Amino acid sequence: MSETRQTFENLALWQIVFWYCLIAISTSVFVWGVIRLVRKYRQGRSTTRLDHIGRRLLRTTRLVFTHAWIRRRDTTTGLGHAFVFYGFLVLFIGTAILGFQDDFAGPVLGVHFFRDWFYLGYSLFLDVFGVALIVGLVVLAVKRGILRPFRLDYWRPDRKEGEYDRRPWVIDDWAFLGVIFFLALTGFLLEGFRIAETNPSFETWSPLGWGLAQGFRAIGVQGQTAESAHFVLWWVHGVVALSFVATIPYTKALHMLSSPANVAVRDDRAGKRLPTLPADVKSDDVGYARITDLTWNHLVSLDACTKCGKCHAACPATATGYPLSPRDLILDLRDVAADADAMQERRSILGDPIRPETLWSCMQCMACVEICPVGIEHVPIINQMRRALVERGEMDTLLQSTFEMIHTSGNSFGEPKRKRARWAKELDFELKDVRKEPAELLWFVGDYASFDPRNQRATRALARVLDHVGADFGILWDAEKTGGCDVRLAGEEGLWASLAEENIRTISGCDFERIFSSDPHTFHTLRNEYPDLGGSWTVLHHSQLLLELIEAGTLVPAKPLGYRVTYHDPCTLGRYNGVYDAPRQLLAAVGCELVEMPRNRDNSFCCGAGGGRIWMKELKAEGAKRPSELRIDEAVSLGGIDYFVCACPKDVTMYEDAIKTSGHQGEIELRELSELVLESLDLPPLAAVGGPSENEEEAA
Amino acid sequence: MKIVVCIKQVAALGDEVEFSDDGLDVDPDYLELALNEWDGYATEEALRICEQAGGEGDEVVVVSAGGEEVDAALRRCLAMGADRGVRVELAGRADPFTVARALAPVVAREQPDLVFAGVQSSDAVQAATGIALAELLGLPGVAVVNKLDWDAAARRARVHRELEGGLVDVVDVETPALLTIQTGINEPRYATLRAIKQAEQKEIVVEAAAGDGEPAYRVRRMFVPPKGEGAEMLAGDPAQVAARIAELVKERLA
Amino acid sequence: MLAVIAKDPAALDVSFAGVDEVVRVSVEQEEFEGDVALAAVEALIAARRPRATLLGFTVNSMGYGPALALRLGQGFASDVHAVALEGDTLVATRSFHGGKVHAELEFAGPAVLLLRPTTWPPAEGAGSPTFADVTAPSVASRARHVAFQEVAQADVDITTADFLLSIGRGVGERENIEQFEELAAKMGAVLSVSRPLVDAGWMSNARQVGQSGKTVKPKVYLALGISGAVQHLAGMKAAGTIVAVNTDPEAAIFGVADYGAVADLFDVAEELDKLF
Repeated sequence: MSETRQTFENLALWQIVFWYCLIAISTSVFVWGVIRLVRKYRQGRSTTRLDHIGRRLLRTTRLVFTHAWIRRRDTTTGLGHAFVFYGFLVLFIGTAILGFQDDFAGPVLGVHFFRDWFYLGYSLFLDVFGVALIVGLVVLAVKRGILRPFRLDYWRPDRKEGEYDRRPWVIDDWAFLGVIFFLALTGFLLEGFRIAETNPSFETWSPLGWGLAQGFRAIGVQGQTAESAHFVLWWVHGVVALSFVATIPYTKALHMLSSPANVAVRDDRAGKRLPTLPADVKSDDVGYARITDLTWNHLVSLDACTKCGKCHAACPATATGYPLSPRDLILDLRDVAADADAMQERRSILGDPIRPETLWSCMQCMACVEICPVGIEHVPIINQMRRALVERGEMDTLLQSTFEMIHTSGNSFGEPKRKRARWAKELDFELKDVRKEPAELLWFVGDYASFDPRNQRATRALARVLDHVGADFGILWDAEKTGGCDVRLAGEEGLWASLAEENIRTISGCDFERIFSSDPHTFHTLRNEYPDLGGSWTVLHHSQLLLELIEAGTLVPAKPLGYRVTYHDPCTLGRYNGVYDAPRQLLAAVGCELVEMPRNRDNSFCCGAGGGRIWMKELKAEGAKRPSELRIDEAVSLGGIDYFVCACPKDVTMYEDAIKTSGHQGEIELRELSELVLESLDLPPLAAVGGPSENEEEAA
Repeated sequence: MKIVVCIKQVAALGDEVEFSDDGLDVDPDYLELALNEWDGYATEEALRICEQAGGEGDEVVVVSAGGEEVDAALRRCLAMGADRGVRVELAGRADPFTVARALAPVVAREQPDLVFAGVQSSDAVQAATGIALAELLGLPGVAVVNKLDWDAAARRARVHRELEGGLVDVVDVETPALLTIQTGINEPRYATLRAIKQAEQKEIVVEAAAGDGEPAYRVRRMFVPPKGEGAEMLAGDPAQVAARIAELVKERLA
Repeated sequence: MLAVIAKDPAALDVSFAGVDEVVRVSVEQEEFEGDVALAAVEALIAARRPRATLLGFTVNSMGYGPALALRLGQGFASDVHAVALEGDTLVATRSFHGGKVHAELEFAGPAVLLLRPTTWPPAEGAGSPTFADVTAPSVASRARHVAFQEVAQADVDITTADFLLSIGRGVGERENIEQFEELAAKMGAVLSVSRPLVDAGWMSNARQVGQSGKTVKPKVYLALGISGAVQHLAGMKAAGTIVAVNTDPEAAIFGVADYGAVADLFDVAEELDKLF
């Protein structure tokens, strides 16, 4: 007899018809569910996310099949999920092939391919992947039920105990795992019963099925008994499977569709280039104040979340007990969007369920966006909600007065403009005014690097290095205004635009080739966001410039420093702009031994100052450590570190403070990149005009 | 209901100062301009009264005297919600009487129910322009108001005058009247830059100054006061400073 | 010449050393009303034609002083801390820009001057002035006194404390106040504040030092993060020993302090905390 099996072997005609009716019903319910979802998404604001659709689909396919994002920072889960994914996919395709044979190829084309070598290969393949599916499910169940990593803990930092009930989620999670496991298990049992019925020898090509069948036959289940068992179990399996399909749009199973969909419509520059506001926008329409203000793709992303908790585990605010968890933010919004009434009445999301302190806790560090396996854009969503709060004047008094100060004085220190370049007074050479003379490099210094005393030392170090190698650079003196990166991240979009316009005007009047900054925030906004307002230039971070000079042989260290250092990747340099290597190569070039902290590169742990938080009141819980203190603990625990190296002025400020307050003073010191490079040049100390602290440093 | 708010754009001086050639004024290069803090409270109070009254045709009009640079302060108030602005062109140094005379015809023409001014400006601290203006307008003037209850039906204002030592004098004022508003009476709303930009569409009418008269005073000389003995400055890091303070405290309390 | 304007002017004894004449002006109203005061002083000036009319720079004077000068066509200046007659010219000195610059103002004719309180020591002693009476016109005030309202009785009286630890805008946020409350308790001081913290609603006015708060004279006044606005200084500059900590080296408070430090108040507070 030919190697094949007959579908619906045991069923009467009316039963087959009934079965197809069930399929029709389940498919309709499924389709109806999908239509409801699409209708929901269409209530969101429009945006361009379907451009280059071909490229998007290709990339999505690649990401899904390689599990590139799912594997990050957790290979076991990645592997487990891959098993489940491929197992499920293969079994699904297997069923589709069967359907194709029975309902089209056979009756319409008269082709019967489901036999012989095809059938045998098919059987083996499906058995292997069925096992993979079960193994994967077991791995995930062990993770969730036994190992219980922090990210799967549903504790939330922004509500008190008893104020929230996670049981519905937990049930949803286990139900999903359970149903698929049940289907896989019953699938194999069915196979076993089917084979046990007549035990055709070729069915050894379904190893597990064959094994089960032998087991059944051994206990006397064969022939008619097996057939009856098969019949009953078949209907159970069938109904459960169809119910599963029908309820996909309503359960965790939806992520099988929504997650890849979200990946397809993702903006790669999410958070890295925030959207501008049209000039004629109405006050009510600024930012996200209502659930229907979200763009349609953000509404999709709410449904793409699988509650994996990777964002929750990566978030520095959550780690410090601030009332923010990116996961809970997304899921709270999802709950609102799932409520048809809420969508209908365009319900407000500010205050309830998203509290202002939750939104203000965010450091906009992008750790969440970076690690999310399904491409959710938490940071832009928070930013939009901040815009709505600022529009309504609902913000920290400190933040409000900082905005007012920046508007009046053009900097966040409230200092008069003429003091901006005061840091240069102690240098023993003149700094070019690039407004008046052409220069190859325009140095946009930035607020903290200009006004903060500790950072001024680093700024002077950089100036001296560049002067020593004869670089042609100049600054904007008192015409420079704050770059506005944090103003934008804090939600005052109009103020950012105004600052940007003025800076663009000033810079455009200068004659130069490239811009550089030692401040990653300035570097970031000038490079990525100013082009939207007409200011488009080549912008470098000083680590890139210094490395370039070393590689060109212009900057030659006089001696290797021989320090044991660790390097903190600034959020705006690393995650936002992908600059991880230049500072490291620079440290190697000056002869420092780099010891990496556990959380490095794209997993770097924010200092806590970003997103305008440095201008807001502290939100940490009683007795908790600040993010910057946690980071210093991490560095000190490496053992024997001479210097904690920073490449960002705000990092310098935060970490100098944290070294004192974390009780590690004396165990570790801080250096900015420029200071180390200067030291490696072994220049004589500045003349008496310089502060004693600088000479002390150089003598050390 | 119409309220006119008289505002001033004040000049803040940093730690450096140079005087103008005639030595009678500070060189404008050393000054940074901003809306007077008291006037922010006054504008907010006017907006609140009108919002509470909630009728049709309520208007808050902001007026000021000075050159083009004053428009920024007016725009800030327009961005907060004021309806329109008037600037009286006034060049040169302004003393309280000169400003009051410049504003009086504009305010009178508006026929407001209430006129607000800040108690004082942060740069000159004269606390005079408001009351001088009241005199010119022939309105009752009450200074240093830290609470205002406006009875729209009776058109009567009951205000609290904030006296020294925290004492409060409750006063019933016939309206129309001029009140000078003290800080802390409310929480001024934030005007986003976007609102300030959009306020550019609200009108600011510029008028020439009418009215002559003697200024309140003539400046004979302006100078930086000698530091005198000043404080004995304690040197060292915070720990050393704290140690010295602790010593002093123990010493002087004995 | 010293004028007393009251319902019963004789009840107030103002025969200090140096007073030549006391003029009593009777008015109908028990308590201060702007229109009444204006009319009374107007009558006085018409009767006696003084070269200068001196008032205190107080809330009451602010209510009518400028109007008075304008109505009579006289000169005007407020917050004056020095007055002199140089020949025919009356010269008054006041400050601008938070005390960073001073200006000498001159008046050819008569002027109304509001003098900064506590610039001169209080009058004392006994003189032998002559007495006179001037009638003030009857005035129906357009702004009528209704009642006084005491600030709610507070649990603390900062005017009796020997040692005040005073905080200002420098504390930044409401949450930071607690650490200074604790520090004050540790150091044996009473906590007082400057106006901005009361305006923001963080502290009660009972703890406010300054013109619209309390005037204090403790043995030690430790000011942390207070810049020294004129109205605040008026309330505390008579203290025994004043120590000020501020990050701004130009803060006006250093002008009245005995000891000062340009430092971060939180750093200093932390160190003080360890010592007490």
